[in-house]
Amino acid sequence: MSTKEYLMSAWSWNPIVIGACAIALVAYAGLAGFKWRARSWYFLGAVAIFFLTLASPLNALANGFLFSAHMLQHMLLLLIVPLLLLLGLPEMGAGFRAPPWLHWFAGVSAMWIWHERTLCDLATRTETVRVIQIISLLALGALFWWPLAGPVERRRMPPLRGVAYLFSACIACSVLGIFIAFSPAGAVCPVYLNPPNQPALLNLIRHDWGFTPARDQQTGGLLMWVPGCGIYLAGILALLARWYGSVEKPEASPAPFLPAHPNAEEH
Amino acid sequence: MNPASTAISPAGIVTDEAAERGLLSWVATVDHKRIGILYLVTTFGFFLVGGVEALLIRLQLAVPNNHLIKPETYNQLFTMHGTTMVFLVVMPALIGFANYLVPLMIGARDMAFPRLNAMSYWLLVLGGLLLHFSIVAGGAPAAGWFAYAPLSESPFSSSNGVDYWILALLILGIGSVAGSINMIVTILTLRAPGMTLRRVPLFVWMVLINSFLIIGAMPALNADIVMLFIDRQLEAHFFLANGGGSPVLWQHFFWTFGHPEVYIMALPAFGMISEVIPVFSRKPIFGYSFVAASTVAIGLLSFGVWAHHMFTVGLGHTADLFFAAASMAIAVPTGIKVFNWIATMWGGAIRCTTSMLYAMAFIIQFVVGGLSGITFAVAPVDWQMHNTYYVVAHFHYVLFGGTLFGMLAGLYYWFPKISGRMLSEKVGRWQFWLAVIGFNLTFFVQHFLGFMGMPREVYTYPDLPGWGMINMLSTIGAFILGFSMLLLGANILWSLLRGAPAGDNPWNAWTLEWATASPPPMNNFERVPLIRGRRPLWDLAHPEQPDSPGATPQPAGETAIAKNKASMIVFIISEGFFFLMLVIAYVYYNRTAGTGPTAASSLNLRRTGVFTVCLFASSFTLWLAERGFRRRSRAAMLSWLAVTIALGGIFLAGQASEYWGLFENGVTVHTNLFAAAFFTLTGFHGLHVTIGLIALLIVLWLSRRGGEEDFRSPALETLGLYWHFVDGVWVVVFSVVYLRAFL
Repeated sequence: MSTKEYLMSAWSWNPIVIGACAIALVAYAGLAGFKWRARSWYFLGAVAIFFLTLASPLNALANGFLFSAHMLQHMLLLLIVPLLLLLGLPEMGAGFRAPPWLHWFAGVSAMWIWHERTLCDLATRTETVRVIQIISLLALGALFWWPLAGPVERRRMPPLRGVAYLFSACIACSVLGIFIAFSPAGAVCPVYLNPPNQPALLNLIRHDWGFTPARDQQTGGLLMWVPGCGIYLAGILALLARWYGSVEKPEASPAPFLPAHPNAEEH
Repeated sequence: MNPASTAISPAGIVTDEAAERGLLSWVATVDHKRIGILYLVTTFGFFLVGGVEALLIRLQLAVPNNHLIKPETYNQLFTMHGTTMVFLVVMPALIGFANYLVPLMIGARDMAFPRLNAMSYWLLVLGGLLLHFSIVAGGAPAAGWFAYAPLSESPFSSSNGVDYWILALLILGIGSVAGSINMIVTILTLRAPGMTLRRVPLFVWMVLINSFLIIGAMPALNADIVMLFIDRQLEAHFFLANGGGSPVLWQHFFWTFGHPEVYIMALPAFGMISEVIPVFSRKPIFGYSFVAASTVAIGLLSFGVWAHHMFTVGLGHTADLFFAAASMAIAVPTGIKVFNWIATMWGGAIRCTTSMLYAMAFIIQFVVGGLSGITFAVAPVDWQMHNTYYVVAHFHYVLFGGTLFGMLAGLYYWFPKISGRMLSEKVGRWQFWLAVIGFNLTFFVQHFLGFMGMPREVYTYPDLPGWGMINMLSTIGAFILGFSMLLLGANILWSLLRGAPAGDNPWNAWTLEWATASPPPMNNFERVPLIRGRRPLWDLAHPEQPDSPGATPQPAGETAIAKNKASMIVFIISEGFFFLMLVIAYVYYNRTAGTGPTAASSLNLRRTGVFTVCLFASSFTLWLAERGFRRRSRAAMLSWLAVTIALGGIFLAGQASEYWGLFENGVTVHTNLFAAAFFTLTGFHGLHVTIGLIALLIVLWLSRRGGEEDFRSPALETLGLYWHFVDGVWVVVFSVVYLRAFL
């Protein structure tokens, strides 16, 4: 089997995934009043990436063959899809917001908990757990991005606080990525040490692509660590752009001179 | 400020005329301007020492097979040269400039914590002296400025040199972190009304980002050298392969610090350039927000690319690929800045003062250093060039041709403000051209030496074709460069005595420091002009044509946090990084069970669990004490404080008994890596608990006076943050060390 043959053949047309995409699109169209807006592109992108993540060969590979494919899927579902979904939503008048640390914790714990050894194995082996995993990644990812990209603009976090929010999340994920990258093979998800018995595919992965289990796991860790942090960094830059782009609030103050050192009294 | 209290400022600083003269007034000063000058003078002194070391190195290398300097001495020379230039010259000089300028630029009276500021400076002096004391105490360190293990371990560096190097770096690190905390809090809390964070001068912005880099990066170095010190003094094997340790981990930790350090040494210079170029181009900076935001990007990326210093270690192709890509990415925000500076000059009315000449030379030379840096991001090129003179050429282009030239641009620009007199432009031009010629002659040719394969840090070289001639050229260049620096010293001395008076604003500049006298009075400003934009003096002079039409001043309400609380939060971030490194080390050393005791075999989960509960309970009781304070209930506060202290004491006693039991069973730091990592991690946590307890006792002592209603409890809230943090660290330590082993 060649790479091309595999990439052409390994698509899965899961009716649940297709159905979910269709429902999402219809619901969105209804929510947006059947009007195409610039931000609709975000929503469309979210649905497209969601579909590709779960229908393309990436999903087949993540299903017990390649840890790095699993990691890519994990990051797309946790960090990219929910962010685009939120950005695509039309602005709403009201909405909830928990304390920021809870949102932060939701996003970071999704990274960590699903890479606990037994859970990671279970999610690969058992269909039900797998479904729970996908839904939880989307939900926790949406919770994570909510204070920054939620549809209620005035309840969003102040930009500089958002920078700290994203930077600390980047560190939390980097630590896990570093741990995965430098751990012995199989220390994180042992299931990838013993992939299902498909000699042709394994030959492709191990020989043509050169992914030994050790290199596979290192790649997975590095994916979470370097491009993963890149996503947070892109978020930080977007926040800064929004901050510098916004107009500073005018405030009346007629006096051309103010007394020096107003802050000195705080001593 | 109340006019009646001008003699003594709110911080208790004596501003009496008589106290402003004499040696004592300098030794005892807490004025940010004087401390800034002390920093600059001290670093110039160390710069001369490090420069002489460099010239000795170049003398030895002038001809092939030279025996002027012994190999051991040569090793000491390049180690001391590197350490001096990084830790005693570039970093503190930039901190010195920031010390002098930041409060002036933001319209503040002084730094947020003037005494802490003085402490940071005197720690620099102490660290510098300690490092040089090694010369008479058995020999200077000779393991390179990065002190790679195992060379820096006792079996290979048996003299005290490395120990003094460690102690000096720890002290300098504490000083830098304290200075950075001070700087962050100053910038966040003491800005003049109207000066929002989006309006601060770019130098101030870069110093802010830089200070965050320092508090994030120094802990990695501190953890690293503390572990090395434990290896050397207590015979652990953290970095010794023969005891199961990992010399590679030294490199990981060192470059986790070392790569951000590169930007720590560059960002403030970027800031200076961003002030100088607009003024001498008579245009506002092009793309302020791009320069500012790209600085943040550089800061964050710099923590993620350290492994490109380790391509030759053998991390594997995969790791190399990712870090090659990340390292190339960091060139993008840096490149953005270069384009911004050029675009600022484009179409401007450029005035070629010495300061501007240095700024322009900075851009060109920094681009050369930056481009050679990108070549290292290509791993195979790095394998070829690693540890050759190509590296030496590269980082001197960044640090000398870049940072130092940037600082000289800043010196020529701000010297009139600092001294009240102009530096001689005539001498300045001579000095500039000699520096440019000398610098490029010294280091450009070293690129070729690197291509030819000449290794760095070797005391001599064989007489291969071309090598002798190129090295001789480089040595001649170095002496021209040295002469130009002497000329700079002469220019400074001459100008201090005879220079033309500067006036308040000799360059017709726009930032706030030029709104006061030169040199500024003790209290900096009589009145701070209203700030409506990024160039307050422009707005003042051209009210009809302001920078940002329609913008009105707004109170600095973006970050209305109390400075004590802010300082503690920043300190906690820094300490958090330190413990993160120690936890990573613990996990790394316990990833596989070695021989000897392990966590499961030697620790007692139940007993430790009991005193862990005490520690967690103490966080709760301290919260009750804080609540008592807020409710003005003296009895509640004092009693809950006492309970907190008792619980903390129980925890420490429990830890002591645990240690005692381990010692009884022969488990000590040098038993194996589990023991070494365990004692290091829990020991540092215990030290933090002890410090917290002492601080709580002091608070208890201070709040014993006063009535039921108006008792004082200084710092209780701030201290509470620290105590909760220490407990939070124990949550992590307890999970990683105990729960992971038993569950």
